Amino acid sequence: MSTEPPAAVELTGITKRFPGVIANSDVNITVRAGTVHAIVGENGAGKSTLMKILYGMQPPDEGTIAVNGAPVSFGSPADAIRAGIGMVHQHFMLADNLTVLENVVLGSEPRKGVALDFAAARAKIRDISDAYGLGVHPDRLVDDLGVGERQRVEILKVLYRGARVLILDEPTAVLVPQEVDELFGNLRELKAEGLTILFISHKLDEVLSVADDITVIRRGTTVASVSPSDVTARELAELMVGSALPVPELRDSTVTAKPVLTVKNLTVTGADGRLVLDDISFTIHAGEVLGIAGVEGNGQAELVEALMGIHAPNAGRVTLGDRAGNQRDITRASTRHRREAGMGYIPEDRHRQGVLLEASLWENRVLGHQTRPPNNRGPLLDRKGAKADTRRIVSEYDVRTPSIEVNASALSGGNQQKLIVGREMSGRPVVLLASHPTRGVDVGAQAAIWDHIRRARAQELAVLLISADLDELIGMSDTLAVILRGRFVAEYDPRTVTPEQLGSAMTGAGKEG
Amino acid sequence: MRKLTPRSVLLGLAAPVGALVFAAVVSAIILAVTGHAPTDAVDAMARAAERPRTLVNAVNSATYYYLAAVAVAIGFRMKLFNIGVDGQYRLAALLSAALAGAAFMEQLPSFLRITVTIVVAMLVGAAWAGLAALLKVTRGVSEVISTIMLNAVATYLVSYLNRPERLAVSTAGSNNIGTPKITEGGQVAGFTVEGSSSKLFGLIFLAAAVGVLYWFVLSRTRFGFELKATGLSESAAVASGVNVKKMVVLSMLLSGAVAGLVGMPQLLGSSYSYSLDFPAGLGFIGIAVALLGRNHPIGMAIAALLWGFLANTANSFDTSGIPREIVDIMQGVIVLSVVVAYELVRRYRVRAEQHAVGGALGRTKTLEEVSS
Amino acid sequence: MRRTRGVRLAAALLALGIGLAGCGAKNNDTGSGGGTPTSGAPAAGLKIGLAYDIGGRGDQSFNDSAARGLDKAKTEFGLDVKELEATAGETEAQKEDRLRQLVEGGYTTVVAVGFAYAEAIGKVAKDSPEVKFAIIDDFTDGVDTGANIANLTFAEQEGSFLVGVAAALKSKTGNVGFVGGVNTPLIQKFEVGYTAGVKAVKADATVQVKYLTQPPDFTGFNDPAKGETAAKGMFDAGADVVYAAAGGSGNGVFKTAKANSKWGIGVDSDQYNQPALAEVKDVIITSMIKEVDVAVYDFISSVKNGSFKAGQKVYDLKAGGIDYATSGGKIDDIKAKIDEYKAKIVSGEIKVADKK
Repeated sequence: MSTEPPAAVELTGITKRFPGVIANSDVNITVRAGTVHAIVGENGAGKSTLMKILYGMQPPDEGTIAVNGAPVSFGSPADAIRAGIGMVHQHFMLADNLTVLENVVLGSEPRKGVALDFAAARAKIRDISDAYGLGVHPDRLVDDLGVGERQRVEILKVLYRGARVLILDEPTAVLVPQEVDELFGNLRELKAEGLTILFISHKLDEVLSVADDITVIRRGTTVASVSPSDVTARELAELMVGSALPVPELRDSTVTAKPVLTVKNLTVTGADGRLVLDDISFTIHAGEVLGIAGVEGNGQAELVEALMGIHAPNAGRVTLGDRAGNQRDITRASTRHRREAGMGYIPEDRHRQGVLLEASLWENRVLGHQTRPPNNRGPLLDRKGAKADTRRIVSEYDVRTPSIEVNASALSGGNQQKLIVGREMSGRPVVLLASHPTRGVDVGAQAAIWDHIRRARAQELAVLLISADLDELIGMSDTLAVILRGRFVAEYDPRTVTPEQLGSAMTGAGKEG
Repeated sequence: MRKLTPRSVLLGLAAPVGALVFAAVVSAIILAVTGHAPTDAVDAMARAAERPRTLVNAVNSATYYYLAAVAVAIGFRMKLFNIGVDGQYRLAALLSAALAGAAFMEQLPSFLRITVTIVVAMLVGAAWAGLAALLKVTRGVSEVISTIMLNAVATYLVSYLNRPERLAVSTAGSNNIGTPKITEGGQVAGFTVEGSSSKLFGLIFLAAAVGVLYWFVLSRTRFGFELKATGLSESAAVASGVNVKKMVVLSMLLSGAVAGLVGMPQLLGSSYSYSLDFPAGLGFIGIAVALLGRNHPIGMAIAALLWGFLANTANSFDTSGIPREIVDIMQGVIVLSVVVAYELVRRYRVRAEQHAVGGALGRTKTLEEVSS
Repeated sequence: MRRTRGVRLAAALLALGIGLAGCGAKNNDTGSGGGTPTSGAPAAGLKIGLAYDIGGRGDQSFNDSAARGLDKAKTEFGLDVKELEATAGETEAQKEDRLRQLVEGGYTTVVAVGFAYAEAIGKVAKDSPEVKFAIIDDFTDGVDTGANIANLTFAEQEGSFLVGVAAALKSKTGNVGFVGGVNTPLIQKFEVGYTAGVKAVKADATVQVKYLTQPPDFTGFNDPAKGETAAKGMFDAGADVVYAAAGGSGNGVFKTAKANSKWGIGVDSDQYNQPALAEVKDVIITSMIKEVDVAVYDFISSVKNGSFKAGQKVYDLKAGGIDYATSGGKIDDIKAKIDEYKAKIVSGEIKVADKK
């Protein structure tokens, strides 16, 4: 140890107070150069504030930051970038209608004289992409990229700006196991090049597999610094929350013979004419959870959007059964009709489709339910009813907020998610399309959301569950299907399947279904 | 959170007051640098404020500024930039003036005649704005571009129609040209104000009603909610069952209908004819007023009054030997600084809100508490 | 909407309040003194107020011409003068307010420049019978007529006819142009007279007509770039003489004429002698002179010497006030021919229409 170079980053006695609350209190972390250092903690434990301080977005009230042994003081992220610290945010900050190249150079445009030198930038992006196996094509439109690819663009963006210390905020939340492995491969290569990674996560297995050091944060302060070889996932979890982890599981089967959502030969073509959904058929019955496993970008988003009526399918038929068992063809129905007919929707990207960041919580409660009580009376808005019901959701789903009048943007991602789940479970939906319903929420809330879904399932809710968390999929599904390149390639019984089997089917290495 | 606490009142005041003070300071500096005494400007404004006629004119100007601002704001609420209010109101004013001034209209009872005039103006405004909406939803043409172009088209169309062989009458010896004068039955009587030769527009009540309706529709109806949702996030609105194309068309039509009203107070309360000297450029003033009033029904009313007062003090400045252009400078600086000030206050608010949420997060529930 | 409506209301009210309170405090200083004129020579009995059209003094055109008349009267009679300007897009109420402020300021002789003041002057004159008014370019019965209003109008079509004759005689291609500033009835008078003059000489000549802007866009009177483009198009299409009835935009017409070795015709004043046009003056073969300055001066001196007469006073070829210019000597060769037409118009043998 004594022969090692100075710590890449050293945080000493960091304290940050907000009026009435201490977000960080005496945080001490030493990040050795050329290592992957994980910071784990529940949502709201103070990880984000800490990273904002390190990234120059907020000044600490007390404490010091040293980079490579030299004390620094950041006034803005620009200072942090100059010091070689880069951040990959949980929510991507990419312009959809620009190419990867344009997104990467945005703000640090390459110049040759006065002209923009895109050729050089393109070459540099290719180099970085190849060097770390990121597989990023500079000329693709970001709009066409899946979540996983967007994340790699974000990483590349930071590398492009010369970062030597990378902060990754919940990077695996959006990835499937194989992609996680790839990412970890990338991280190891980065590490080998002498880069330092700060890895924020609450997925303990991953942390244990990739991190060299682990710091646990609880209620704003560092409670333990451990080596992955010294702890088990369970011990780590207990350090985080002080109690046992919840387990996703469905006890008894509630599946009925009543078909609720019937999809026949659904086919969707993408903008480039490529088939993104190829002849998909399935039926979800009342009280049944159909889990869909798949690597991000294999048609899950298109499937959900076609089912919600956001994009019209090219062919196929979608039928929705109501509680009385009457079947209705909704293939061409509008999104509003589907919602009114009892379809709930938890979107994959909550900032794009789930919430209005600049609107209050109660207005977000109305969103998507504006045509139904308790939110309306005819063409008028029922503000009182909506507010009262928002308070109900806030308390039932433990949305942590001082008031239902604050803007959704003030809430953490996990709390926004809880609000969305609470909203979509309101008014007894007959079917719930849930994309990553527990992504980014803390373990406590995760348990609560699972519990809500289980209870609704017992009352004949049909659920289409899409998740990157294979434990969640296996534990929460009655039936499991694997989607690959827009087709259902395999079906499994969740009681017998292993994550490894699923993983190989998802990448096309397994048996064809 | 949004209750009236002393702090929130101060915060609300900070932006507009700060911007006005800043604009006053900038104007004073410009005056001083160009060799005019800023105190003279204050004197001139004081004299203007003392004169009932100027105040009446200011309120009258505010009436149509307000209507223009509401028209713009309807689009702004869903990030739709109706730059075409200008063309919409001019075309609407011309056509409704031609109708109202037509001989056969004299047989109608006064109330009906006025109503028909106003409704036609709204329809024309809506139709002209509807063109831009149609282009947007069918061809994806940006409404900014199309409405700007439709302004130019409207200018030519109005000029083409405002000829003796078409809608206009030419009077011997006059170099002006316009539609036939609307006779008394088609006019809206104004209110006499003590000490003022100008009358207060009768249609000030129309503007007030439009303001109330605007407030009601936007904050109390489903339609208003969907408008706001679309403006904040189109993708979220789509996922929530909002038919965005329909919203584009509806809001453009509404915006255009209100734009059609912009010329009415002046037409029916003072000019009685659409002619070459009918006030122009109100649509652009509406954009400034909507910005200043933050699309808020009362904010825009105050902004319109401020604008009207400034516009009508120009003569007083001139009389005092102060360049009348100082009014334009003041208006420009106010808009710019208000935009900056609102953004600063907004950021401050967001931070304050996040701190408050941080407070709520201060205590982490245990797992038992959550699942019980 | 949710954002504390009350707060914003209070904010804006306070904002207005601050402004008004500031005004209120100042009132005491000026209240007793009344409106004190800040410019002008020591009053020699006559106080003249002049309200310009959009552009005001310094527009190199119509308003400047009125200003020249005022300046001449001022130096000669030693007047107390107040000049006010119009703003683009303003309403009639603001024009009326301008005239009323002049009257309230004690200006007993008021000149309104431009037909836009017609309605306003009619109303104000009725309320102020002791004040003498003049309006330029308008005489609408029942609107701006009265016992204390002089209507000073011009027969622009007659002067335009004569420069049309000059254009036709000078043109080698039989193709001439007309650039109008803004498409209004007033400028149409110029066009109609000009075309008639051209056709009187060469019945088969082509007259290209282009208006730079349409009302309510009045920038056509002050946009040399637009004038340049329009004239370029006409020269390209074969014209070799272009009449610029476009105020300040004429400058652009002459610039293009010079670049293409063609000719231009000026308007309102003898533009050959205008300092601002010195660089391009050798392409200006003649100008249609509209002596607004003479009209303003005549009006002021009539009030001064007690010979004020209400009603229309027409400035045409016969009465003077409309003419064509010969500075530069470019039309000396055809002057006799033009004067022939002039004599016919004066005698009434040729009647020049003022409308299409």
